[in-house]
Amino acid sequence: MYSVILTEFGIVVFKDEKLEKAFPFKDAVRDYISVKKKESKLNELVNYLGPLQRGISVSDESLMTLLKKNSIDAQMMEELELEEIQSTKPQIIVDSGFAKNISEALSKLREFAMGLSSSKVTEVSESPDLHIIQAINSLDEIDKIANGLSSRLREWYGLHFPELDNIIDSINGYSQIVLAGKRESLTKKVYEEAGFPDSKADMIALLASKSRGGDISDINLAIVQSIAKQILNFHDLRKKLEAHVELEMETVAPNLSAILGAAVGARILGKAGSLKKLASMPASTIQIIGAEKALFRSLKTGAQPPKHGLLFQHAMVHAAPRWQRGKIARAIAAKAVIAARVDVYGEGINKMLLEKLNIRVNEISKKYETPTERETRKPELFREHTGESRRREGGDFRRREGSDSRREGGESRRREGGDFRRREGSDSRREGGESRRREGGESRRREGGESRRREGGESRRREGGDFRRREGSDSRREGGESRRENKNYRERTDSKSNKNKKRSKFERR
Amino acid sequence: MKEDNFEFFWINSDGEKKLATENLVIGNQVYNEKLITKKGTEYRLWDPFRSKLAAAIMNGLEIFPFKDKSSILYLGVSTGTTVSHISDIVGPSGIIFGVEHASRVARDFLDRVASHRANIIPILQDARKPKEYFSVFGKVDVVYVDIAQPDQTNIAIENCKMYLKKDGYFFLVIKTRSIDVTKSPKRIVEEEIQRMEVHFEILQVIDLHPYDKDHAMVIAKFLK
Repeated sequence: MYSVILTEFGIVVFKDEKLEKAFPFKDAVRDYISVKKKESKLNELVNYLGPLQRGISVSDESLMTLLKKNSIDAQMMEELELEEIQSTKPQIIVDSGFAKNISEALSKLREFAMGLSSSKVTEVSESPDLHIIQAINSLDEIDKIANGLSSRLREWYGLHFPELDNIIDSINGYSQIVLAGKRESLTKKVYEEAGFPDSKADMIALLASKSRGGDISDINLAIVQSIAKQILNFHDLRKKLEAHVELEMETVAPNLSAILGAAVGARILGKAGSLKKLASMPASTIQIIGAEKALFRSLKTGAQPPKHGLLFQHAMVHAAPRWQRGKIARAIAAKAVIAARVDVYGEGINKMLLEKLNIRVNEISKKYETPTERETRKPELFREHTGESRRREGGDFRRREGSDSRREGGESRRREGGDFRRREGSDSRREGGESRRREGGESRRREGGESRRREGGESRRREGGDFRRREGSDSRREGGESRRENKNYRERTDSKSNKNKKRSKFERR
Repeated sequence: MKEDNFEFFWINSDGEKKLATENLVIGNQVYNEKLITKKGTEYRLWDPFRSKLAAAIMNGLEIFPFKDKSSILYLGVSTGTTVSHISDIVGPSGIIFGVEHASRVARDFLDRVASHRANIIPILQDARKPKEYFSVFGKVDVVYVDIAQPDQTNIAIENCKMYLKKDGYFFLVIKTRSIDVTKSPKRIVEEEIQRMEVHFEILQVIDLHPYDKDHAMVIAKFLK
């Protein structure tokens, strides 16, 4: 009976409990891994075992496969034997001559474990998908920072030249003008370099000459200008990152980026953690990645589950009418997971996936041309209910409207669209919009409320009477009947505290 | 707070009694915890908000099998906060096999903990495959499991069968939210305990509130 035992430092052959021969590894960590991966050749061992040919039992499955590849008949050891080996491992290492005594064996074992663990960490850190994830996350973060900075720039330079804000939408053009300096020093050349047409340049020049803004000191201007410089730099970096992500996605995950697009694909990859993990996910998980909050709420309270998370940013979902989005998202997710699996095994691009997806999406858009009946259901009037149930109804109603998805996907969609956003409307509106863009849950709820108002709340509001008109989307926060009695008081404090909240958010940033 | 049971753990800091362990590697901080030197011995404060074992002690843990020279199998070491304190306790002749699958946290674990402490053997493996562990030898006195998986109890039991001594102790952190978000935490704990009762004698169940929300620690003895 020969027993072949795989240890951390080499392969040992025992005959009837006595050491026959030891085959030490040259590089313990590397050789051990290659045995485990069934890649090693083991010439010496095979030559030695070859003539014996019978009664060979092995302690390790990969080792057994390797031996069988070399047509050596080997069997796995019994459980009891394996347990014995496991519990006397340090002794075996000493017996095999890999260590002088038990304590050396122990410290060598630890050294080995450190080496093997480190090499695993190194191996994982080298995978390109991790770099894609870092790149796409940086891109999203840069967007966030640049958005904040550009609002700040408009606000600050607006003290000096407020009229400029409403004329120039692109933050790039704005930054370039700021870089040129004070109102008086703006010349035609500046406008030309910033790429404005003549008509616009004339308008700016006119406004500059009779601006309502105050003077700005040189020190202040210098700071404002360096902010503008940063914004332009961020813009360049963003462009580079975008191109980089696209390129990398095409090499690392060509199928995935064909189905999802480079940016969305990379974001989903980031949420999954790695391409391998993504490939082992069910399609339904991919469908709602990024809508975890809505998903768990749905699991907990039985509310409607989200139709899509990050996938909302996908052009097909985004462009589709509301009632088709869930179906399309599901179709895309199904193909995306197949694509990820193909990519994991590096099989190159498969055009069929996209073709089939397009067919399916067309089918959906034909079959469900009209809204499903759920959409047409009339919302119940708020006034007939008590405060408690009304609130619940309100939530339900909104969820059906699909503003859930808006809440989940909205922020990043905005980010995807126009990079550094232009702002609209009056000052106060802008402030609301800004904080909303930056803040998560709280303000998004407000957005949800807004969309509700847009989607048919108009008439309801009028019905609701005086106090309702003022409250707008905040009605959700209000309690039951008692509200009407002290409505004046409430209203005042409510609106005030709201304003304060907005303001403080804005300031803090 | 049961001070009598493990008085060697308590140390006075800023007028409060706080948990601490004697530092095995002098001057070494693992997670920016406070180091306090008393009578020539250096202690590391043990933050119950960071370590669930410390939280269990704060909430009245009755049995503490981690002793000098103990051998421990620890599943889910993460960045090694708790492991570092156990490493302090078992001392240079004790041994800890620390299993972790995620490479990101393992990176920190190797850097901050494993490379400084000779009694820790890091094992980067999936706890689902206990047979694949390398460098583990013999049976251990305690198995400590802190992994966030829906089937964590079964994984833990499999590991105990392979590596835990008879009458050895088993510490299981039940993360109810990782098992099922829809069920009530209480019910999940009961269900998991039922699963364990076949192989174990349940000694104590501790709710880790307020240090960790919806977490429970189960301490059991291995019958086999």
